[in-house]
Amino acid sequence: MSTRFSCDDTESLVAYLYDEADPVLRNAVEQHLVECARCRDEVAALGGVRHALAQWTPAAPPLRFSVVQTPLPPAADPPASPVIRPRVASWQTVPVWAQVAAATLAVAVGAAVANVQVRHDAQGWTVSTGWMAPVSPTAARPSADESWKPALAALETSLRGDLRATAVATAAAPAVAPAARPVADGDTLARVRDLIEASERRQQQELALRLTQFNRDVDIQRRADLVRIDQGIGQLEGRTGAEVQRQRQMLDLIVRAGLRPPQ
Amino acid sequence: MLELDITGRPAGRTARRVHEEGATLAVHALTITDEELVVRSKDGDVESFNQLITRWERPIYALAYRTLGREEDARDVCQETFFRAHRALKGFKGEAKFSSWLYRIALNLCRDWMRRQRRTPTVQMPEDTDIAELAAEGGPVESIETLVARRELGRAAERAMATLPDEQRTAIILKEYHGLTFQEIADLQGCPLSTVKTRLYQGLSVVRRQLEERGMSVADIRRDAS
Repeated sequence: MSTRFSCDDTESLVAYLYDEADPVLRNAVEQHLVECARCRDEVAALGGVRHALAQWTPAAPPLRFSVVQTPLPPAADPPASPVIRPRVASWQTVPVWAQVAAATLAVAVGAAVANVQVRHDAQGWTVSTGWMAPVSPTAARPSADESWKPALAALETSLRGDLRATAVATAAAPAVAPAARPVADGDTLARVRDLIEASERRQQQELALRLTQFNRDVDIQRRADLVRIDQGIGQLEGRTGAEVQRQRQMLDLIVRAGLRPPQ
Repeated sequence: MLELDITGRPAGRTARRVHEEGATLAVHALTITDEELVVRSKDGDVESFNQLITRWERPIYALAYRTLGREEDARDVCQETFFRAHRALKGFKGEAKFSSWLYRIALNLCRDWMRRQRRTPTVQMPEDTDIAELAAEGGPVESIETLVARRELGRAAERAMATLPDEQRTAIILKEYHGLTFQEIADLQGCPLSTVKTRLYQGLSVVRRQLEERGMSVADIRRDAS
């Protein structure tokens, strides 16, 4: 069986160039090259191109990729596929819940340092910061919080006056009962009742505020404790992983050193 | 529960690295095949997959570098190739060679990268020639002049390759640097065998023309070298 090779048969020329021509075709090309100077130059030139291409060697940066196993928290859902995180900032590897917890802790610590106090009373919400003794709201607003004092003093004066008047009237005309007295006593009782009710309302509001603050403090402390526990567990896991990695690298080095040929 | 994280570990000095890689390759050549390592990896043996990475990370990186022309991008593509291979390993039926499968993943990634960037491969500007580095890289009988000329030739080839259409450049890379057969290249590129040969011929002809335009007589190159 013989195969003819012509000058425009570039596919066969390439097959010959890369040594993938079958023996019959190779013989045909070689015979043709003996006779055809143009094709001979072509083959030499393409061989030169191949030699030039062989000089193109890419830089060899350190690669040494490897699959690293790291344990996941037991509560986490199993990933659908491996996770690759080669070049991300360290904060991006922290779960969202941990970032939220850290932010909450930071706010709580900041609030504690700044001694932020939020109060709600009859005058509405009050926010104060700093460690200096706070100005008493009662001192700042005497007309609002001490309004009961003049009223009480007036009541006392009124009662004393009534007592004196009663004593004088009893001594002077014991059989005669003043017509206006029941009205005066009813007013006084109503005012006393109002004052007592206002005082009770203030006390209830104060108690509710204290309870709210207490609950909030307990909640902040609980969150801070949880974050601290998580951080401790994370550090423990990180240390364990790093130790395993170090041991693997040492083993790798020992194996490679053992395989090194004698100088 | 395991989380798998493919990381690049920094290596030591170049000489030591080359030596270690040589030793590693020697061990691998004597031990198990890719196919056996694939079977073990499928059974969950991470170390077997790491051996596959060690065997193939250099060729895959070189393929990506020659296709994209940028070290950083090539490294990313290389890393992503092994990540995807690990993820899809269960679906690898072994109908093709593992290396061909890896090449396909890497080439798809390179193609996607080129599309995203909408650009042709770049030619990374080389740093100034370091004579000491050159001397260490060359053989004991090569003069500095020969080494410099060799490097210049390589750079000229790189620049010429960057001007080729994707299909021609990929065909030449797979043939010249990875030694794939025409049939393997045809399978990877999804084209007939004759198309691969045509792409190779046309690509080589363009490179030849580019080199000659730079004053390099390609017909004499081999003669000079030998």
